[in-house]
Amino acid sequence: MAYFKTGGHDIYFELHGEESAPPVVFINGLTQQTGLWKAHTDYLVERGYRVLLYDMVGQGKSSKPVLYQELDGHPPMLAGLLDHLGIERAYIAGISFGGAIVLKFALSYPERVLGLVPMSTFTEMDARLRWLGAALYEGMAKIGFEFLQNILMPLNVSSRWIEEKEEALPAMKRVGYNSNDLYSIQNLIESLNNFQPFTGSLPEIQAPTLIMNGEWDYLTPRWCHELMRQKIANSRLVLMPHSCHAFTLETPELTCRVLEEFVQSVDSGAWKGDQSVWIANEHFQDGDVLLPCRGDHTRGIPICPEPVKRATAKRGAAK
Amino acid sequence: MSIEDSRQQVREFLAGHTLGADEQTKITLFLMSLKNANALILSKVEFQPMEWLPYFSLHSQLYKEMDLFSLLYRATDWSTNPMLYTTSTQLNFELWQKARVGDFLPGFFGMDRRFYEYLALSHSFMADVRIIPLLPPDVPLTSKYLTALHTIETENGRLIQSQIRLLKDMEVPLEVAEKEQIIADQRELVVGVFDRFLQFLVKS
Repeated sequence: MAYFKTGGHDIYFELHGEESAPPVVFINGLTQQTGLWKAHTDYLVERGYRVLLYDMVGQGKSSKPVLYQELDGHPPMLAGLLDHLGIERAYIAGISFGGAIVLKFALSYPERVLGLVPMSTFTEMDARLRWLGAALYEGMAKIGFEFLQNILMPLNVSSRWIEEKEEALPAMKRVGYNSNDLYSIQNLIESLNNFQPFTGSLPEIQAPTLIMNGEWDYLTPRWCHELMRQKIANSRLVLMPHSCHAFTLETPELTCRVLEEFVQSVDSGAWKGDQSVWIANEHFQDGDVLLPCRGDHTRGIPICPEPVKRATAKRGAAK
Repeated sequence: MSIEDSRQQVREFLAGHTLGADEQTKITLFLMSLKNANALILSKVEFQPMEWLPYFSLHSQLYKEMDLFSLLYRATDWSTNPMLYTTSTQLNFELWQKARVGDFLPGFFGMDRRFYEYLALSHSFMADVRIIPLLPPDVPLTSKYLTALHTIETENGRLIQSQIRLLKDMEVPLEVAEKEQIIADQRELVVGVFDRFLQFLVKS
């Protein structure tokens, strides 16, 4: 097992792939650990990429401080890890809590970034998100970590996925339970107590940015990602169909295809950051990976572009 | 050998073994020793005035620790091997000595360094000593013994809330660096003994 020591903490990391290959970093969500990126790692390494996985301080096999953890402490630790590994620049991808770190890293270390992939994340919280966060925290502290896991499950993944994985789920949950420590996850959540919205800083981001959002993400809904799309000029928004907050778990292959296409387009100079909106194609084997989104992507209900005329049928006419 | 190596060794051991009477006895004696130490120190809180801010949460913790202690006692298939008890007692004695449990007993607690040390020690008892993560993830926690271990770990997560809040928010004349050092020292002590316990657990 490989560890990097910084500021008195040990950071667990895994580096896969050839040294000369373009590096892609994955940053975990709140209760995730490196093992959950296995499918993505295998896919990308097989296609000639280098993948860096690590557990943030407080997660998995990394150090778990008892006292305070600062949200803004994570980007310098990642920069230190990249220094340690001799990686000058990388594609930085991350989900949920890790997605916020992706954006904060880009703001603090723009010169280290080849491209960004913030997924299912947020740069500010509305009343609903704050309420939800407080309820998750309270549930975990008063009932237990497994309660947090149970509440997050239907927010993270779709019914289809739960039904498909029904038999494997208890063991999967136990892996999450085993690798996490309640007090430490509590620390990570508490690091959001003083969270300051940073949407206003997003225009500073110049790097190519692919924003990804699940169709049914009720934890960090569309508006969170729409803000990023509007504020980051060099961006595109991709909607992941039929999946929830943790679409990386639900549709790893489609996620990888979208990521791969993004990295290829940036590497080849074909990338166009035009703030356009796309839908990932579930049937990518038969066609393009991304399809243009033609409707109003900010709405959950289909709005008819033409005004609907009031029905003229008289009462009692239908007999 | 690091604690992570020891944990891995136990994981490999438990992948091929169920927890028999010998293993249950070893685990129970170790956990009881921790709970006993915590309960003994907490019992003095009963003599503190009720107006003392931490009283209510620590009062509950004392009785919950006794509840878990008796649950574990009843759920264990006790071993008939006398050597296990001897070795366990030596290990537990080492913990009590190193943790200087006796030093916490005289006098009242105040918002001071000694109370902070106790909080850090008991935090480590409940946070760093976990058995369930050492079991294969596909082993159902349905036997009476595993149910008891699982219950204890879940309850520890609730009980530790008192330690978490007090360690973070209590007004105590200590700098952050001093607090961190106290916590690091107490963790090192507990994790060190836990490490030796894990090595003892896999010995036949």
